[in-house]
Amino acid sequence: MDTQLNTSPVQEASHHAVAHEHDAEGNSMFGFIVFLLSESVIFLGFFGGYIIYKLTSTNWLPEGVSGLETREPLINTIVLVSSSFVIYVAERFLHDKKLWGFRLFLITTMAMGIYFLLGQAKEWSELPFGFTSGVFGGTFYLLTGFHGLHVMTGILLMTIMLLRSFIPHNYDNGEFGIKATSLFWHFVDVIWIILFLLLYVWQ
Amino acid sequence: MTNIPVEMAPGATPPHAPQNWRTYFSFSTDHKVIGIQYLVTSFVFFMVGGFFAMIIRGELITPEADLVDRTVYNAMFTMHGTVMLFLWMFPSLVGLANYLVPLMIGARDMAFPRLNAVAFWMVPVVGILLMASFLVPGGPSQSGWWAYPPVSLQNPTGKLLNGQFLWLLAVAISGVSSIMGAVNFVTTIVKMRAPGMTWFRMPAYVWTVLSAQIIQLYGLPALTAGAVMLLMDLTFGTSFFDPAKGGQPVLFQHFFWFYSHPAVYVIILPIFGVFSEIFPVFARKPLFGYKVVAVSSIIITVLSGMVWVHHMFASGTPGWMRMIFMFTTMAIAVPTGIKVFAWVATLWRGKLRLTTPMVFALGALVMFVFSGVTGIMLAAVPVDIHVNNTYFVVGHFHYVVFGAATMGMFAAIYHWFPKMTGRMYNEGLGQVHFWLAFIGANLNFFPMHPLGLMGMPRRVASYDPEFIFWNVAASLGAFLLGMSTLPFIVNLVGSWLQGKKAPDNPWRAIGLEWLVSSPPPVENFEEIPVVIAEPYGYGRNEPLIANGKALELEAAEG
Amino acid sequence: MNVRTILTLVVTAVILAAISLWMGQQSYGWFPPQAASEAQLVDDLFSFLVILGTFIFLGVTIAILYSVVFSRAGKYDMSDGPPIEGNTTLEVVWTAIPLALVIWIAVYSYQIYDRMNVKGPMELVHLHNPMQMATAYAAPLDAETEPLEAIEVHSRQWAWEFHYPGQNVSSTELHLPVDRRVHLTLESEDVLHGFYIPAFRLKQDIIPGEAIDFEFTPIRVGTYRLRDSQYSGTYFAAMQADVVVQSPEDYQQWLATTAKQPPTEAYNRAVTEFAKNRGKVKSVFTGWKSVPPAPPPVVNYSTQS
Repeated sequence: MDTQLNTSPVQEASHHAVAHEHDAEGNSMFGFIVFLLSESVIFLGFFGGYIIYKLTSTNWLPEGVSGLETREPLINTIVLVSSSFVIYVAERFLHDKKLWGFRLFLITTMAMGIYFLLGQAKEWSELPFGFTSGVFGGTFYLLTGFHGLHVMTGILLMTIMLLRSFIPHNYDNGEFGIKATSLFWHFVDVIWIILFLLLYVWQ
Repeated sequence: MTNIPVEMAPGATPPHAPQNWRTYFSFSTDHKVIGIQYLVTSFVFFMVGGFFAMIIRGELITPEADLVDRTVYNAMFTMHGTVMLFLWMFPSLVGLANYLVPLMIGARDMAFPRLNAVAFWMVPVVGILLMASFLVPGGPSQSGWWAYPPVSLQNPTGKLLNGQFLWLLAVAISGVSSIMGAVNFVTTIVKMRAPGMTWFRMPAYVWTVLSAQIIQLYGLPALTAGAVMLLMDLTFGTSFFDPAKGGQPVLFQHFFWFYSHPAVYVIILPIFGVFSEIFPVFARKPLFGYKVVAVSSIIITVLSGMVWVHHMFASGTPGWMRMIFMFTTMAIAVPTGIKVFAWVATLWRGKLRLTTPMVFALGALVMFVFSGVTGIMLAAVPVDIHVNNTYFVVGHFHYVVFGAATMGMFAAIYHWFPKMTGRMYNEGLGQVHFWLAFIGANLNFFPMHPLGLMGMPRRVASYDPEFIFWNVAASLGAFLLGMSTLPFIVNLVGSWLQGKKAPDNPWRAIGLEWLVSSPPPVENFEEIPVVIAEPYGYGRNEPLIANGKALELEAAEG
Repeated sequence: MNVRTILTLVVTAVILAAISLWMGQQSYGWFPPQAASEAQLVDDLFSFLVILGTFIFLGVTIAILYSVVFSRAGKYDMSDGPPIEGNTTLEVVWTAIPLALVIWIAVYSYQIYDRMNVKGPMELVHLHNPMQMATAYAAPLDAETEPLEAIEVHSRQWAWEFHYPGQNVSSTELHLPVDRRVHLTLESEDVLHGFYIPAFRLKQDIIPGEAIDFEFTPIRVGTYRLRDSQYSGTYFAAMQADVVVQSPEDYQQWLATTAKQPPTEAYNRAVTEFAKNRGKVKSVFTGWKSVPPAPPPVVNYSTQS
């Protein structure tokens, strides 16, 4: 067993220790990614449920319902997915310390998110079936509702990021907040793409 | 000496354990305080769950349902299971891990100390919700800890605020708390190990905690999904699991067991870690096959996600599904068996000291092996068809959760009590606790096996007279087991208040936590240790760390 | 490893094997009598598992006890034990042997399950939901073992009711002819129930909304118990019935006699107990509101339990 005590590895290791102690942003990002991976399993669970119900239920669609409208949801999808690029641009602006560019693109992202949510609400209000309309109704509203909650959370996070951007020295310790918010927003988008495919494309 | 308050103990260096008891009731972000908060809170609920068990066994000592009303009995077994799992096992294990992991890896605290505290404070909320369910119309949930629909959807009072609703809410909050903890542990272990502590220089206990917390991350969300859907059915009348509305009750079983099977490995893995820490210390020998033992924890993490249908062998699952899951379930015996043999080999030709932690660990190991044998029996589909939902299963899992996990937890508490409190516990009372618990547990849970083989179903408030003999034996064992808690409480409370002061390393053990004072300073280490050796270096003359205090480790060289 | 060690190990192994084989024999006595052909297969498999399990459990426990008794540290001996960190050969052996054992057990269990398929319920359990369907029926049966017409099993909270459509007989006691394969159709009107006859070693959960087919062959005349095995609510424990296996003549006799009885209300334990509880103040001391039991079965034949 090697027990050399020469200073080099010890010094290096101690230096590493200091780096570890101060890599709070690295730790936070790691933790956040771990959290998102876990969160995705809930969605995977709901997706799995939806697939099984669709394949095995004897009365899938409620009475009088022949399917889902796809045109407006498709527009909403395009808006939401594009907003991922917008928030990416916002992140780049922040990285280059251009706060007003950052804020502009962040607000745009929020607006696109709000547009999506309003579109979702409009769709919901016009649908001829409800939450309790059989297994289809239940899974449809559960999936879109749960996703919608995540969109709302994303917008809330962006609001907080926007407000904090006005605090002096806010970014002295790094940009974890906006990085995490941005990653969350991408996550919400990917989930939506899968949802869209399951609910609207695979009919 | 015993009358001097802790604050004024001579030679007290800068801040040790909190100066007074109030800290333990506050929102502290110190992982050591949080760990103790978890441990004490969970033990209180252990006694609550144990009280419910006494009622269950009191009812079952006679064949008729003559002690309490059937609805009360059904609430008792539901709440016994729920409390014991969500308020005793999971929080106590997280509490122990919270206390030990940063110390064992040479860190000052967990990666996210405030998240840590938030996760803890959700536990009393869960407890209050569950206890409050006794006061709502219809009483607490009576659908068993697994809450299968349609029974769990029946809601006889028709009220929105009912016991099942509170139960689902409590379980959901518990899940959130656990996921917060899991994110914290995984980040801490991956990112905050001391310099020089490579993966294979990390104590086996930390490996098992990592493995267990990874399971929480991939498994809990499935339970959350199923619980949300059940809650929607219960409260809003959706039809996910309600067959009358086209739903599929068996799908709930899949959601439920996809988490709840791996959950049992979340429970037992850290206990395996405890065994791996305790046996080397009290046999004065390295952990045999440490690397393989460490890797087997990860193998268990992966395999445990692939066995859940073995809880549904009688549920109308198709034959091919039963066979696949039979094979995977049996496979998991291999990495588990490797660990058992490694522990036996650790003891072999060692220099054993039968302290209280050691006897509890030994007793727990023996009971675990027994439960492993009955586990293989349960994995065989034709046998399971007969004993599924009978007392055979109840006997099997109580050997695991009490015999192995709870007794293993007691071993851990005794072992690290001096480190946590700065006091030595009373060895005599510890031995009394062990024998009462060991005899009580075997007398309580062994008879459940013949009962199951003879065909006594589980969760019954009344039974046919042919089952009387073993039920009486089991109930007597249960009362003995209940009483065994008394010496434990007396010992710990008394010792914490007035026990002999503990040195830094009362067991002459090798490990980073034993390098610091008992209790440790608030920041754990004055200087972050630099690790230069593998763990369990018993019998070798090598220092564990490069900086300072190397001498303390060379103590036991013969 | 010297000769003495090897000899000790072999002797120990032989003794353990003898004890294990003895336990395997004993295990047959831990079950109810074998009243169905499937029971024999299950008991054989279980006995095999008891033999293996006893050997492993005793082997490990004795090794631990040996250490506890003979490897104690001297009272003032503060030194460590030998720094043995592993032994690759040993580790390979104790990984390979359990792996081989587990494969052996799994294959043997599969074979037993397969044979039960041919004889009994497993493969023939098919639900009408296509995703959950098991494989098709086994090979065509010959005339002697052709299953009887379906006996319908109706389960509800908290009663069992059996219906013989051929003779239009209903009963709260399940009568079956010996040495003939029977075909049951299991149904539930409300929640999950479990059709469990310990003496047959057979169990099948009943899922509301599905009709589940179930077949087996009783081989021993006698009276056995049918118990609900899947927790079904307040009076779950009271949901039991008797299973009477009779000679074919006695069975036909019973059917003929019973067909002539006018249908009457059967005694139902859940209904009786529930009635006694009505009107009581609801609390933890007296019990909470329960789902009311279904009305008692109205059948041609019932007993007082």
